[in-house]
Amino acid sequence: MAVVAEPGRRGRRSGPQARREARIGLLFVLPCFLLFLAFRFGPGIAGVLMSFTDYSLTGGGHFIGLDNFIRLWHDPLFWSSLKVTVLYTVMAVPGTLLASVALALLTRRAFRGAKLFRSVFFLPVVTSLVLAATVFVWIFSTGGPWATFVSWLGLSDSGWLGDDVFVLPALAIVGVWSRFGYGMLILLARMQDIPRELEEAALTDGAGPWQRFRYLVLPQLRPALFFLAVLETTSSFQVFDAIYTMTGGGPANASYTLVFQLYDAGFKYFDLGYAATIGVALFVLTLVVALVQRLVIGKDQ
Amino acid sequence: MTTASAERTPHTPPAPAPPGPDRTGRRAERARRRAAERDGVPHAMRGTRGGRIVRGVLLTLAALVTVFPFYAMVVLSLKPSAAVEFPGSLLPWPLTGEAYGTVLGAQSVPRWLLNTLVYSLVSVVGVLLLAALAGYAFAKKRFPGREAMFWSFLSMVMVPYHVTMIPTFAMIAKLGGVDTYWGLIIPTLANAQAVFLMRQFVRSLPDELFEAARLDGCGEWQIFYRIVLPLLKPILATLGVFVFLWHWNDFLWPLVIGQSTDMRTLTVGIASLQQQNVPLNVVLSGSVIAFVPIFAAYLVGQRYFTEGVTTSGIKG
Repeated sequence: MAVVAEPGRRGRRSGPQARREARIGLLFVLPCFLLFLAFRFGPGIAGVLMSFTDYSLTGGGHFIGLDNFIRLWHDPLFWSSLKVTVLYTVMAVPGTLLASVALALLTRRAFRGAKLFRSVFFLPVVTSLVLAATVFVWIFSTGGPWATFVSWLGLSDSGWLGDDVFVLPALAIVGVWSRFGYGMLILLARMQDIPRELEEAALTDGAGPWQRFRYLVLPQLRPALFFLAVLETTSSFQVFDAIYTMTGGGPANASYTLVFQLYDAGFKYFDLGYAATIGVALFVLTLVVALVQRLVIGKDQ
Repeated sequence: MTTASAERTPHTPPAPAPPGPDRTGRRAERARRRAAERDGVPHAMRGTRGGRIVRGVLLTLAALVTVFPFYAMVVLSLKPSAAVEFPGSLLPWPLTGEAYGTVLGAQSVPRWLLNTLVYSLVSVVGVLLLAALAGYAFAKKRFPGREAMFWSFLSMVMVPYHVTMIPTFAMIAKLGGVDTYWGLIIPTLANAQAVFLMRQFVRSLPDELFEAARLDGCGEWQIFYRIVLPLLKPILATLGVFVFLWHWNDFLWPLVIGQSTDMRTLTVGIASLQQQNVPLNVVLSGSVIAFVPIFAAYLVGQRYFTEGVTTSGIKG
């Protein structure tokens, strides 16, 4: 009885009861396992293998060694889309993190309407970027709301999406708008864990708001900020939906990202082997950045 | 969303109380709770009066900036023609449903809405059922290779979607699944995050709950159906809301799989309208149609969204 009552614990058992349990367990996991085999493990390995072939929908599939990677290295479009992706990330990720921290601090205390503000700030997170993009195209158009706003600041009132310098800041603004509510919620949850006594003690010691934030709140948020930095970097490396809808990669490839190049290679030119190579490059890049971020932000853990 | 509303019903009071005194009562109750929360905070930490005003102004500005695109989306979609110049077009008059007539009549929006509904609802049921079965087995059943299998599932979260997408597409294309519902849906049912969250939840339930049923002579399927699934209601609701959202908003996979006009989902279809230089008010009325179900789900099941994010970090 005692053995049967604790199936979750580790330990050796045998007999028909254990065999029956194992059979049931495997049976319950089987549907999921088959799907993972077919659509995750299989394609994961195939994706890497394919990058060494000239596979396309019409034929090919011969092993061509490192040819795809050599071609990628000499492809000016790859370097341009890599630059665009990195530039976008450098603008969107810090922007998202800053807005998340600022709004988490502002909505942290219980006051009338705090919940309503939090709900409003989370609304863009649940909104499809394609739908948001349809209205942001108008917001950033020539003579539109954003152009009018920046013309008050002395800039020209031409549309940002048609400008090869301003197109990426415009897309990064959309990225920040759509993501900061998520970071805010994550940080709010961590802020609740800060012991109130600590803050009271800091107050009696005469610490100002900035000192309390810098020496008390920020250290507590460090793991959450690391988590958010990795997550947001990964997702901005994969930015596609808003760009596809708003600019199509233009003007003159000024917003043409890595995933856009992968999409074109695979589904416009049906050059699946080359598309897989870009996918592998994206994977390696993501891993490297996660490692670097771990060294920079997470070094104390 | 069906899961979420089914979960909510037991919590709502059976008979509606008289509106007047109850509402003031609830308001007083909320005020008391706020006051109680404030009382624990020393006066200086609550901030000065000036500080509170600054906070109020900043928050109002941020909220206006956040909401502006939604406001513009709705108002411009109700404008008579493509005349959507700034700033006159932001005034809420004159309004007309003309663009909605165009988008529902001449375009394939109703068909895209149907496709999105099929994609989202079938996937929610499939992902939840498969994840519940696997999560329960990973948490409570012992079988050879259990840990290795579970961690290999989880490790697939690390591999970017774009690495697996190309071979998956090649395979589905070979099997003739381009432009079909099964080709669209089946590859998305293998959801590692759902299995992981399900297993964590089942692990937190005491074994005795399941053992009692076994002693009563229930078969394994009966235990799963009668005991396990009802116990999983909270996680099914939270996860259901997110799986619905992911599929409703999904773009790249439906874009490559649904190649004919009739097999597009709403997101793919609206992106195509945007690229075909369809008048802005027509495109935006399509966006509003696609956004309303998500907005309704958010209003009804908001606590599932926020709890999902804060307790498990589900990616929004």
